[in-house]
Amino acid sequence: MRSSVSKKKKLTRTGVEGILFVLPYGTLWLLFLFLPLLFGFFISLHKWNPLVENVFIAFQGYGELFRTPRFWNSFWVTWRFVLMVIPGIVLVGLMAALALHSKLVWGTQLFESFIFFPYLLNVSIVSILWGLLHDPDVGILFQLLKRLGIATTPLLNHEFWALPMVAFTTIWWLAGYRMVVFRAALASFPAELYEAARLDGAGPFRTFFSITLPLLKPTLLFALVLTTVGGMRTFGQVILMTAGGPGTATEVLALYMYRVGFEFLDFGRAAAVGFILFLMIFILVLVLLRFFRLGSEMR
Amino acid sequence: MEKTVALMNIGRGVRAFILWILVLVWIFPLIWLTGKTFTPNSEIIRSATTLFPEHWTLENIQAVLQKWPFLRWLFNSTLVTLGSISVTVVVSLFAAYSFARLQWKGRDIVFVLFLSSMFIPWEINAVPLYFVTKYLGILGTRPGVFLPISAMPVGMFLLRQFFISIPQDIEDAARIDGCSSLTILMRIFLPMTIPVLGAVVIWIFLFAWNEFFWSMISLQRSAMVTLPIGLKNIMGSQNIDYGGMFAASLLALLPSLLIFLVLRRQIIRGITVSGSFR
Repeated sequence: MRSSVSKKKKLTRTGVEGILFVLPYGTLWLLFLFLPLLFGFFISLHKWNPLVENVFIAFQGYGELFRTPRFWNSFWVTWRFVLMVIPGIVLVGLMAALALHSKLVWGTQLFESFIFFPYLLNVSIVSILWGLLHDPDVGILFQLLKRLGIATTPLLNHEFWALPMVAFTTIWWLAGYRMVVFRAALASFPAELYEAARLDGAGPFRTFFSITLPLLKPTLLFALVLTTVGGMRTFGQVILMTAGGPGTATEVLALYMYRVGFEFLDFGRAAAVGFILFLMIFILVLVLLRFFRLGSEMR
Repeated sequence: MEKTVALMNIGRGVRAFILWILVLVWIFPLIWLTGKTFTPNSEIIRSATTLFPEHWTLENIQAVLQKWPFLRWLFNSTLVTLGSISVTVVVSLFAAYSFARLQWKGRDIVFVLFLSSMFIPWEINAVPLYFVTKYLGILGTRPGVFLPISAMPVGMFLLRQFFISIPQDIEDAARIDGCSSLTILMRIFLPMTIPVLGAVVIWIFLFAWNEFFWSMISLQRSAMVTLPIGLKNIMGSQNIDYGGMFAASLLALLPSLLIFLVLRRQIIRGITVSGSFR
């Protein structure tokens, strides 16, 4: 009897303690993550003008948005951008990781450092640098492309080429990160498997497709999900390199949201774009995780 | 047999060649940036196709440091980063311990809620966050930038994952000796957690040091401008000063380079620990 009472007492004590321990983080999470999400949805249902009066318009704002061609333009630009960036980052990351792993090149550490280093730069440095490389007056890349007869005007001002060029810059910036992640995965695979394959006379291609690729699949698919999410929220490179131009040829959703909110001061619509972006990413992640059965990877 | 060996060697050679081209493409922009930083402004336009200057000069760097509060930006970036790191580490340690080891009602529901918030891309919260921080009176201040960063759940997840793997026996023994949860967390768990904590610190550092979108919105017209936003201001200034842009980029790159040279192994290891989250 006594022991059960003291046990119960101990449980309630840890109960309070448990909540107290979560409280500091929980407060931050509520204030700066969860509340803004709900609040954003709330704002999106209004004609939001904090200076005058906020008018409740329910889902009219969303309807308005869906009838705006500029919204759909940024929607498709975002998808095109994502579809260019994902294969680039994954391929470069994978190629570099495989090369490092199989000690294909001398100076492994140097090689790794060179490919990885751009990841440590902030988006402003990256964008200024690549913007200048494309610059018609000082850009060595522009001069090169011009002499090769590929470009007559700077590619960042080109209706078609601007987006692929921003995508390339993004690949240059971020691929090193995937390389490190892939390389860690490769290093964790059992050496015996490779030894057995070698003894069985399997060539490098056979080994890659029968052993490495199946083992790498979860990491690869996870990378796919994460680069997709990352790509959909792209903002800095675009506003700094092309400002969404020429015209709206590179205006991604995050930039469109920023403009609607902080330039056109239509916070209701901006919040709606944000919420749509959230839903898109959230549903996409859930579907991909379920589809690839990756849920267990996350715990 | 000999033929396959020869083929393999050719294959290796081709692949190595492709890789070295890749590396060249990757480092070329940085070499070019370095060269142009030391090129006089008058020469930059004239010699668009050369890599290194005829006459080396420090005038671009001097001009940038004179014209813009560069050190001030550096200072702001450092404080924002340190703020994110310290707040994240403290709150995450306690929350992770609670989720891993303490029993309380609703714990698992709250945890799943936190977990599912991991994929809320933080850019989409920019508009409401603007108003939330405004109401709280921290818009345009350093805490207004770093507190939202600390609200991201990644650090807490990494720590919880690790805490779960610590054998229960260790904790039970300490409990019998009369240790409180706080003592157990600080005296037993914390020392064992240092490597994982290192990964968390590096993750937050990389995020906070380079954070752009939220800083840009919240620090408009503020004296608290961080390095990435300061650079953006240079870029957007009225008269185009090529030398200045090169020099500013190189200067802004130096802290990252320094940290990379000193902590290369820790950074790479940190990413392999937290790599499944980003």
